Amino acid sequence: MVKTKALDLKGVGRQILKFGEQLGADETEAYVVSNRVLTVRLVNNAVFEAKGVHDIGAGLRVLGRGGIGSSSTADFSSNSLKKAVQAAVDASKARKLRFKYSFPSPAKTPKVSGVYDTRLAKLPGDKAVELAYDMIEESTAHSRKVVDNAGVLNLVEFHTIVMNSHGLIAKDDGTFFEASLTATAKEGAKSSEGSESTAGRSLRELKPKAIGKKAAEMAVDGLKARPLKEGTYEVILDSEPAVNIDGYVSWLVSPMIAKLYYPLFVDKLGKQVGSKQLNVLDNPLMPGGVGSAPVDEEGAPSKKVTIMEKGVLKNFVYDSFYGAMEKKRTTSSGVRASMGVGVSVFPGKNYNCEPIPLPRNPHIAPGDWKRDEIIEDTKEGLLTQRFHYTRLTNPTRGDFTTVLRMGLYKIEKGEVTRALQKSRIIDNLLNILKNVNAVSDKLVIAGSWGGYAHTPVIRTKAHVTPV
Amino acid sequence: MRMQEDLASLAIDHAKKLGAEYTDARLETHYNELITVANGKVQRAMINQKRGIGVRALVKGAWGFQSTTNLSRAGVKNAVSVAYKIAKASSRHVPKPVKLASIREYRDSYAVAVKKALEDVAFEEKIKMMLKWEKSLHTSKSVVRGLVDYTGIKIDKLFVNSEGANIKFANTVTWAGLKADAKKGDLTQSYEQTVGHVGGYEIFQKQDIEKIAQETGKKADSLLKAQPAKEEKRVPVILNPNYVALLCHEIVGHPSEADRVLGREAAWAGTTWWAGKLGEKIGSEYFTVYDDPTVPRTLGFYRYDDEGVKAERKVLAEKGVLKMHMHSRETAAVFGIEPNAGMRAITYEYIPLIRMSNTFFADGDWDHEEMVEETRHGILVADMKHPSIDDKRYNWTISAQEGYEIKDGELTTHLRDVQLASTAPEFFKSLDAASKKGEIAPLPGCGKGDPMQALYVGNGGPYLRGVANVIGAK
Repeated sequence: MVKTKALDLKGVGRQILKFGEQLGADETEAYVVSNRVLTVRLVNNAVFEAKGVHDIGAGLRVLGRGGIGSSSTADFSSNSLKKAVQAAVDASKARKLRFKYSFPSPAKTPKVSGVYDTRLAKLPGDKAVELAYDMIEESTAHSRKVVDNAGVLNLVEFHTIVMNSHGLIAKDDGTFFEASLTATAKEGAKSSEGSESTAGRSLRELKPKAIGKKAAEMAVDGLKARPLKEGTYEVILDSEPAVNIDGYVSWLVSPMIAKLYYPLFVDKLGKQVGSKQLNVLDNPLMPGGVGSAPVDEEGAPSKKVTIMEKGVLKNFVYDSFYGAMEKKRTTSSGVRASMGVGVSVFPGKNYNCEPIPLPRNPHIAPGDWKRDEIIEDTKEGLLTQRFHYTRLTNPTRGDFTTVLRMGLYKIEKGEVTRALQKSRIIDNLLNILKNVNAVSDKLVIAGSWGGYAHTPVIRTKAHVTPV
Repeated sequence: MRMQEDLASLAIDHAKKLGAEYTDARLETHYNELITVANGKVQRAMINQKRGIGVRALVKGAWGFQSTTNLSRAGVKNAVSVAYKIAKASSRHVPKPVKLASIREYRDSYAVAVKKALEDVAFEEKIKMMLKWEKSLHTSKSVVRGLVDYTGIKIDKLFVNSEGANIKFANTVTWAGLKADAKKGDLTQSYEQTVGHVGGYEIFQKQDIEKIAQETGKKADSLLKAQPAKEEKRVPVILNPNYVALLCHEIVGHPSEADRVLGREAAWAGTTWWAGKLGEKIGSEYFTVYDDPTVPRTLGFYRYDDEGVKAERKVLAEKGVLKMHMHSRETAAVFGIEPNAGMRAITYEYIPLIRMSNTFFADGDWDHEEMVEETRHGILVADMKHPSIDDKRYNWTISAQEGYEIKDGELTTHLRDVQLASTAPEFFKSLDAASKKGEIAPLPGCGKGDPMQALYVGNGGPYLRGVANVIGAK
């Protein structure tokens, strides 16, 4: 990535705090970021485009006369920062709080290793293009049947600092990558897709050739796919599908999202929402974790949170604001994100969103099965490796559907016997969680389209229909 | 504005000096305000401002793009240099150099009509209004959650390119979503509506939002007494315009994007089942669909896209025959046709993509009451909820907010948890009636691209009658 002159983020934060004081705020918080993203998109076996974004910005909140106000700006001139603080002060007059609230106090920040890689941060654009293209080369070299590849390599470097009137100063410097490839294989009139995707925090984790090979293997396997017979099956969710499930659980344990949009877990605290095999954690302290950081986006020191224990919903996660609203302590889960326009999946980019409570590095805890043992133990079932367009079509009931776009295999007598054609799961998320009967012992990083997490492989039951 | 023009020209000139074959630049300032109110509390209230430039350069037939918020002359030149360098690096792996279909270069300036500018209504006043609307959602004790989500966006954009185009566009977009959750025992039902347009705050003064909020609350409450939809194969369904909006978006709009057709979105979003079928009959005579950015007041309104191509109505399908895709200059060159103004980016930070504007089914010749009267057995399916579509936009599942059983030409049992499934070709062929007066609904969150760009568009159509499978509640 291209180096530009280092910005004085702390200096910008100081100015914001000073303007807050001058303009009559009781408390001010500044979240100042510099963020670079380099994207290499691969299309039709070629590099389609290389694109970069260098974003700087400051999100700020003020407290005053019993109210809270928020604003943001991407212009670090004094005049613009002052205007942004004034906008937040004005907004605070309109948004009165009915509970006591103060920004987080300074606290000792833990160290989290493996979240910043200088090599990734300094990787020149031409090298990034070559790394991305390696995925295509490997995929096409794997088999002549592979006729097309499309994918992406995203490299992210971010620096954030949170400062507030209590003297809190908390920094988070990070790097992140995501790489994926979807291969298409053809044989006669038959066509099939295969895909592999991964993410990480350092360049040494990026193995483009392995991604290309796996995508190609899945695509070629799919050429022999046969139709699936509709029914309820034991379904093994390999890493990417398992991340989808974990992702929904993460949304559902945000008190804000649960109240406003997805109320499936409302009133279920302390109740059995999954099988006894299911433990879910949020651990932003995990070394090199895809969502790990020393602090959350309000500057609160990271901590581990148990979300689900033996299938019982143990905790919702809280930022300081929702914590104060519901008389709970923050679980250091303040994330600047929303469901609105212009929100990025990349860390450090959403300075234009207020913090909301969200798990930061959530994952299903490893179980005691080997992945192979889960397959061997399945008399008749399915192995799924890729979900597509997963939705809770009824968020209040948990009606759940996803397309098994590729990487779907039949398991018979403990063996993967053949590939199956595209199908769809139509079931209920609570049923899927309650039917989990095996969890593998290893965490791997998987995901898609910017949403990545660590996950084991899990087995559940679900109704599957051909499409 | 003079300074902006100078910076944009600097970007073009610098790219030319470096050796770019084509360059365009979008210099933009953005203002947006977001307010979320739930159960009498302000959950979110934020005012955001940003400005920057995005530069796209074509070098040796390969694309490079860089955006920056550093609007100093050095900052802009640096962004151009980066775009140039990464394009050049990419060109080593571009076997077929990009060609752009030629267009007329326009020099124009336009603005959407705004009667009440966002800044003319105090933020405090807006919050008070949202609180009032949210209160109106609580029409009975059974309404346990109310939600109002307001967004106001103002964008000033200058587009220039190395061919001489210079287009200024001042846009304002406003919308609000209203949602009520009603609960009785273990049963929770929700209902939501969105009001929005391009234009200012006047939409909330012109329309009686409190009344719409009350209707929303009452609908949620009424669904508690509704019967769950039962699973049934091949049922005649009459879809109301709001449900048609989402259906049209997902199974006609997205697959009509030429980049999908060419396999360029295969990595995540997917491809299109009708690739290579232009000119083929794939639906009944009621399968006529347009994409039209020129419809005033709709969320997908614009006169020029982000490549400076003049907007026009595109006929995507006509009387069942697939006629056209949505294009960029590049994909138009591949297909050997004129570009049709399909390229847009959400902000200067992102490279433009082929996007829907307002995509909608054509009006038919039936009264919608008549469509019900002539249906012996079926379901009236009303108002969009959530979709899940396969990667080729072939197999689809879309849930609805409510439904009514139709028996012997009359609406009878009120239904909840309605979810339809079918395949696109089966459904298109099954269409046998369309009503006279269609509507275009605001859809504020259409997602596409990597990194993802969530864009506001318009979708709709009239009442449509076809055949689909009903999936019951799970």
